[in-house]
Amino acid sequence: MSEYVIDIDSLTKIYQTGKTDFKALNTVTMKIRKGDFVAIMGPSGSGKSTLMNIIGCLDRPTSGTVIIDGENISIVSDNELAEIRGRKIGFIFQKFNLISTMNALKNIELPMVFLGGTKADRNRQAAELLGKVGLTKWATHRPNELSGGQQQRIAIARALSNNPSIILADEPTGNLDTKTGEQIMELLVELNKEGKTILLVTHAIALKRFANRVINMLDGEISEES
Amino acid sequence: MIRDIFVMALEAMRSYKIRTFLTLIGVIIGVASVIMVTTAGGSVSSFVAGQFNVFNPTGMVIGTGTGGATPQLSMRSVVFTDNDVAKIQNLSYIKTVAPVGVVPLNKILKRDGFLNWESRPGQTMYASNSALLEIMNVKIGEGRMFEEGKNEVVISKSTAEVFGKDKPLQVGDTIYLRRVDGKTLEAKIVGILKASSTTNMFNAMANPGIICPIKPYYSSYFGSNAGTILKRVVAYTVLLAEATDTKHVQDAQNEILNYLDSGGSDASKYKDQSLDFVVITQQYILVRIQQVVDVIRVYIVAIALISLLIGAIGIANIMFATVTERTREIGTMMAIGAKRRDILQLFLYQSTIIGLLGGLIGCILGASGSWFVVDLLNRSVQNLGGALATGTITVIYAPEWFVIAVIVGIFIGVAAGVLPARKAAKMDPVEALRYE
Repeated sequence: MSEYVIDIDSLTKIYQTGKTDFKALNTVTMKIRKGDFVAIMGPSGSGKSTLMNIIGCLDRPTSGTVIIDGENISIVSDNELAEIRGRKIGFIFQKFNLISTMNALKNIELPMVFLGGTKADRNRQAAELLGKVGLTKWATHRPNELSGGQQQRIAIARALSNNPSIILADEPTGNLDTKTGEQIMELLVELNKEGKTILLVTHAIALKRFANRVINMLDGEISEES
Repeated sequence: MIRDIFVMALEAMRSYKIRTFLTLIGVIIGVASVIMVTTAGGSVSSFVAGQFNVFNPTGMVIGTGTGGATPQLSMRSVVFTDNDVAKIQNLSYIKTVAPVGVVPLNKILKRDGFLNWESRPGQTMYASNSALLEIMNVKIGEGRMFEEGKNEVVISKSTAEVFGKDKPLQVGDTIYLRRVDGKTLEAKIVGILKASSTTNMFNAMANPGIICPIKPYYSSYFGSNAGTILKRVVAYTVLLAEATDTKHVQDAQNEILNYLDSGGSDASKYKDQSLDFVVITQQYILVRIQQVVDVIRVYIVAIALISLLIGAIGIANIMFATVTERTREIGTMMAIGAKRRDILQLFLYQSTIIGLLGGLIGCILGASGSWFVVDLLNRSVQNLGGALATGTITVIYAPEWFVIAVIVGIFIGVAAGVLPARKAAKMDPVEALRYE
């Protein structure tokens, strides 16, 4: 296997809006090593969300190749794409995106349900992850009974539940106060130390310092890397 | 995994209790009314069919009125003579004939002590022969049938109580009958009819209060009321007849009509030109009632089906709303590995569970509702005083309709859920995640 967990070559993504085409990504080439903590930064419309969606297997490239943990996502079916998402990617969203009708434990369990593990395994794994984010006491609470910080911790536990190699965090501190945001970032740093590759998409320049690599984007292209 | 998604669907429904409940109601009402209508309708049908046994299935009424596909008796003209009665009696498929003469009464009187008279408004009295009771399938409860030519009458249980429930007329009592022509005749009560047997399906003749012999009550009265032509002849408005057996009711009917229409009958001479001879059989009446019941049943089932359709639209509507409302959650589930099939199942299960639950609850409500409806029908049958029918309607559940109702419920759930669930499954995860 390649040393790169994410290997992108000449990726172009064009959106068709009505009669005009919009080039969201223009021949982007990018390689990310296993264990990297990468911050992808840039203003709105720079293409960072599109890049994130393609890396997260939610969208497909118009051209170019994207290899995620050894899988070429341009050539797989919808179902396989869903499977890759579930197995290799953990999502963390700005608005936490927990399922409102399920309690904390069931939310964490959900990605395992879609992959089809046994109930006993799932329960054990979910309880373990709940402990890892320090919310064992809150197992049976629904999202609306939890604070923002707690919800984001549950979301992080959910992102880890299938033991993915890549964590995609899209403005994970955007809806949190500074102090809680710091705690969430520290949790991500910890995960990075455990070997997870972390991609952080953010506007917040202050978060740069947590990353060991920063990719700046502008108008669908990588403008600067450090 | 299917089980897990099923549990997720249940949890989602639990989270939206009121919404789920309101959606359920639509299905419940539809299913319950189908069950109610089919059960009540089936019970009434078998009750009506049972009346073949209560009434004499070979019985028929011969009279004048309007013929055709739906014959009607008019009871207006007095046309059948004793000669006609004898001729009809001799036809090959006729067992017995009973002429019926109507004797309208002004008053019923009873001697109270030596000088006092108690009186009650009179009712209609029927003059006939002893074959009447057999043809009408009416039994005498107490006493015996009158003898021809004697001043004897048989009365119904309700007539026995005209002077008060506390002092009913008894067998052996003597009453006085004042006819509309002013003449008062003495009558000894020799028999009282069985309570439930004061019944007759020929509604024109419902509730004979008093039955008397033709002589002396009818023949002596006749001349004063029959018009000019018939002054010297005793004639009757209707005849009751009985066929030899149930297989030959139709033949008997044809024979009678052939005879009456032939011109050889007295009745054809006396009959008004605008009227037809009419023979109405018990079977015909039962068939007619059955037809009415069937029409009502079809009508209400149609309404029930419409309410089921509305229930289905309700499910579809609420499922679309739920899918739209949960768009971002659908996107999230896709992001964490849900396949399109999983999303489709999740929403399809929800609508199917609503359909199934609605079907089951509807069955239970429908079953108890039909018991209630049949009870109401029984009360109204009793209120008619047995004029239409005897006995009570028993609830007969049709198990196949319960199975059909549950299947229809599930089907409605699936059908109503397909489009919303497909909408959910086809969502673009990127778009769905962006949904506010």
